[in-house]
Amino acid sequence: MSEYTVINSRAVRRDTPDKASGKAVFIDDMSLPGMLYGALLQSPLAHARIVRIDTSKARNLPGVKSVVTAAEAGLIKYGVSPARYDETLFCHEKVRYVGDDIAAVAAVDLETAIEAVSLIEVEYEELPVVLTIEDAMAEGAPVLHNEYPGNICAEVHSEFGNVEAAFANCDLIKTTTFKNKRQDAAFIEPQGCIASYDHFGNLTLYSSTQVPHYVQRTVAMVLKLPIGKVRVVKPYVGAGFGIKASANPLELSACLLSMKTGKPVKMNYNREQVFQYGRARHQFTHTMTTGVKKDGALLALKHVCYLDGGAYSSFGIATVYYAGSLLGGPYKLPNMKYDGYRIYNNKPACGAMRGHGGVAARACWEQQLDMIAEELKISPIELRLKNMMVAGDVTCNDLNMSSLGMKECIEAVQNGSEWSAKKGKLPKGKGIGMACGFFVSGAGYPIYRSDTYHGTVVIKLTEDGGTALVYTASAEIGQGSDTTFAMIAAEALGIRLEDVRLESGDTDFGVDLGAYSSRQTLMTGHAVKEAAEDVRQKVLEVLSKELNVPVGEMDIRNSLIGFKQANVDFSGLRTRYVKEHRGWTDNPTDGPLTFKEAARMAYLAIGSIVGTGKYKPHELGGKYKGAAVGTSPAYGCSAQIAEVTVDEETGQITVDKITDAHDCGRAINITSVEGQMEGSVSMGLGEALFEEVKFDNKGRVINADLAEYKIPTMLDMPEVKTIIVESNEPNGPFGAKEVGEGAIMPTIPAILNAVYDAIGVRIHELPLTPERVYMAIQEAKKGKKT
Amino acid sequence: MLLPKFDFHEPKTVNEACQILAEYGAKARILAGGTDLMVNMKKKILSPQQLVSISRIPELKNLEASADHIRIGACFTVADLCESDAIQRHLSALAEGAKNLGTPLIRNLATIGGNIGSARPAADLPPPLMAYGAQAVLSSLSGERTVPLDQFFLGPGFTAMKPDEILTEIQVPALPASSGAGYINIGVRKAQDCNLVNVASFIALDAGGIIQNARIVMGCVGPIPLRARSAEKILIGQKPDTALFTRAGAAAGSDSTPIDDFRGTAAYKKDMVGVLTRRTLDIAFHKATHRQ
Ligand SMILES: Cc1cc2nc3c(=O)[nH]c(=O)nc-3n(C[C@H](O)[C@H](O)[C@H](O)COP(=O)(O)OP(=O)(O)OC[C@H]3O[C@@H](n4cnc5c(N)ncnc54)[C@H](O)[C@@H]3O)c2cc1C
Repeated sequence: MSEYTVINSRAVRRDTPDKASGKAVFIDDMSLPGMLYGALLQSPLAHARIVRIDTSKARNLPGVKSVVTAAEAGLIKYGVSPARYDETLFCHEKVRYVGDDIAAVAAVDLETAIEAVSLIEVEYEELPVVLTIEDAMAEGAPVLHNEYPGNICAEVHSEFGNVEAAFANCDLIKTTTFKNKRQDAAFIEPQGCIASYDHFGNLTLYSSTQVPHYVQRTVAMVLKLPIGKVRVVKPYVGAGFGIKASANPLELSACLLSMKTGKPVKMNYNREQVFQYGRARHQFTHTMTTGVKKDGALLALKHVCYLDGGAYSSFGIATVYYAGSLLGGPYKLPNMKYDGYRIYNNKPACGAMRGHGGVAARACWEQQLDMIAEELKISPIELRLKNMMVAGDVTCNDLNMSSLGMKECIEAVQNGSEWSAKKGKLPKGKGIGMACGFFVSGAGYPIYRSDTYHGTVVIKLTEDGGTALVYTASAEIGQGSDTTFAMIAAEALGIRLEDVRLESGDTDFGVDLGAYSSRQTLMTGHAVKEAAEDVRQKVLEVLSKELNVPVGEMDIRNSLIGFKQANVDFSGLRTRYVKEHRGWTDNPTDGPLTFKEAARMAYLAIGSIVGTGKYKPHELGGKYKGAAVGTSPAYGCSAQIAEVTVDEETGQITVDKITDAHDCGRAINITSVEGQMEGSVSMGLGEALFEEVKFDNKGRVINADLAEYKIPTMLDMPEVKTIIVESNEPNGPFGAKEVGEGAIMPTIPAILNAVYDAIGVRIHELPLTPERVYMAIQEAKKGKKT
Repeated sequence: MLLPKFDFHEPKTVNEACQILAEYGAKARILAGGTDLMVNMKKKILSPQQLVSISRIPELKNLEASADHIRIGACFTVADLCESDAIQRHLSALAEGAKNLGTPLIRNLATIGGNIGSARPAADLPPPLMAYGAQAVLSSLSGERTVPLDQFFLGPGFTAMKPDEILTEIQVPALPASSGAGYINIGVRKAQDCNLVNVASFIALDAGGIIQNARIVMGCVGPIPLRARSAEKILIGQKPDTALFTRAGAAAGSDSTPIDDFRGTAAYKKDMVGVLTRRTLDIAFHKATHRQ
């Protein structure tokens, strides 16, 4: 039995009934009186100078209320990281990718807005286009941003220990190069928003976002509004996976158009625009050289990585750092050298996506570790266990594994998949493979340099005492955070889950950095817990005075007050409560003192009961440049085993089963943890087998829809056996840490290793489409013949 | 994405529909399940001024199995094809094609007539239908005519239908006793995928077990579904076995004329034609020898 009354259970998600019945309100369901519709003019060319923009025909079209370009929007630079603000709301001198924003229109309906966009005349002078890393880095290549010669958006060079010296002591040194492909997150709800500017100069933006806080700051900065006049509200959101973790041109345009017209303005991307906007996973090319001793001890990793960045930075600086730093663990690795380059070119910008920066790196390395194990004749599991860190270990780049159930995860998947009965014993065409991974539980620092709290929470008791109202600015985007925080509040306060009401996703409720870097459960969770404890203390203090019982001798559980001493006489309180509720049918008669009565007494004594909570990570390790990317108060970790069947004549892969163990610290809502694990598998499987955003030679996306950009269907999904491994994370609320992103780490390499096991051929490029697998098998056959 | 503007007609009989088509000609377009047409209209590839829905014409939804024919109404849905015992029993390769088409939501709307009418080189139903020797029945105010499916497709999106004609039914001749067909399609993922290659094979055996007749139809490897004529020649007059089917597969690969595109290379598609031809011949042979 759990020592907890609310958390560590399977609670019904608060959003489920509304979503199942169609009641849940998303941006698309919303409208405001007098609302206008906006549309964007986006560049049809990948690289061109803007010679002239003429909006007069568009302005004269009946029904058009406003047309804005860089002339109206101004040229304030923004982006994600202040170190690389390289975007303006609208292009002024040139366009840098197909889809770059040039103008926006607000009109009485969408048809008119779209027609007006088509009436804007733009004269372009075409510039040479660079679409690949190689072209962008070539001598004399056209430069996208004058400030960044050679199209190098960011580069990172770091060394921990001494890699070359370590290689001299290695018995085996292995080099491989690996490539993934540009992803789209394929969330179900395209970005959309409604901006509404009122008569007092207050701007309210309803948006499908993961980060109301960052959007609020960007809107205020770019549109030069006092931050106190900008409010961002997030209704239900159909996922984001990182792509909605920064302000986008829709939001800024809608705000500007609403300010110009004084009317609410609604804007949406269609699916094609979602692809055009991009900001999902980069294409990475990793070259890794790993040195080991004969017994399998890892000594050193030399790693070079190129990121195909697209036209703007977006999250890219963080990405290029993460791609290196997240290999510091979970294995003991004393020496690590990293050279990372993020390159601009004329494609949509890439950004952050589930497993930010670490997914392709992990796939490359975990496949290489299997190759090393094979050469050393050590089982892949043994090699990993031999090098595994334990709780309390610190990586060479100063990441502190304050809790780490990695060994337990490996053992769980080993047993759960019957690995020992299968590995090496399967018929040709069938294979089994494993891999590990870990991820941050929240970035240690905000995206902008600041001493801000990462989350603040207010809990207020209703004055009649029945209910705790939790106010958090955190973002429920489908992952289940609202339910998790309601559970944490109920547990910490001692009341039943149904006695908690929660409102979230509104910048008026406080500061919360939002749903990215797998931070909310740990960070917002802490703030919720602290606020709940504050409320609890306030209620108990009043009771203590009224009843003359020390606070330490009282407890709240299941919405009832417990006393250590027997015979505490609270009949006076009860009589007062009942008198105030004459005629009510739910007045307490006998039995223990209820929280409702206690909370009412507290209100009568001192007024509204409000508790506050806040969280900011303690001082984290790492003093070197870039240490801010990768350091986290805690790390989640996982192991997976994939079982596959490969049709060697066609190259088709069937993933038959994934056994997945994840250490999420203490599981708050068990069902949600499993949901994240299964979702991660599905996303990783898609990236491993099918997904790739493709371009023509003019830089246009040619598969900008969910028919040709192929995510897994139900029929592609294997049975997923989820095993939750609980550790007690000292830095987590009730010991909890992440599961949202870390769970994707092992999926791709586990599949790669299983495919090798099935066909005896290593493939170092994703996705593993039937054609790529078939061709690899044919190549290998040719190689054998000659 | 918004639909272009159009007028909507909903005739109750084939004759009424023919009258509307005769009036508007090329300005009109027939709407069956809409799963192909609506996509093209939203993308503004097609902007017909008149849409003629044929979903309320009951006679187009019939299925009739007689001694010499199976007749499938043009508005018979793909979901109906999946569930029909008669189709499963007599035309299992067609049932296989139907089961692999789209998703349950698409199958509920998509019709057999629309699958043929859209004339997509990668469509799932034409190869099995052509392998079974099916023909299309076309109606207009000037009467009815029958076109073998072999001659029906002219190019991607183009058919032998005239603007005033409606495809009313598909006729499949009753199959000889020792005959059978197989169908396999492959894509990148397991469902809801535009095929990379799809092949249907049909063989009929004589009393001595010799292949008397063979039809192999390959999708995705030409502008229309193609017959693998030289593969068929290799088969006819021979006793079926794996070696023969492998040879036929290689010949079918040579008969195919795929192109490199963003879905796959021509080289891969050619090789897959070989594999799928052999595998569908195996299925066809099994059916031919196990049919009661
Ligand atoms: C998500 C998705 C997945 C799909 N997957 C597949 C797949 O896996 N395999 C596949 O083959 N197809 C697939 N399709 C395409 C489409 O669903 C099928 O081709 C379907 O059979 C079309 O039938 P319909 O009734 O919807 O045709 P409609 O869209 O109504 O019509 C298609 C065309 O045929 C014409 N037409 C229709 N009926 C007649 C008639 N009786 N007489 C004359 N002309 C007619 C129409 O004018 C139109 O030009 C998919 C489509 C979508 C949207």
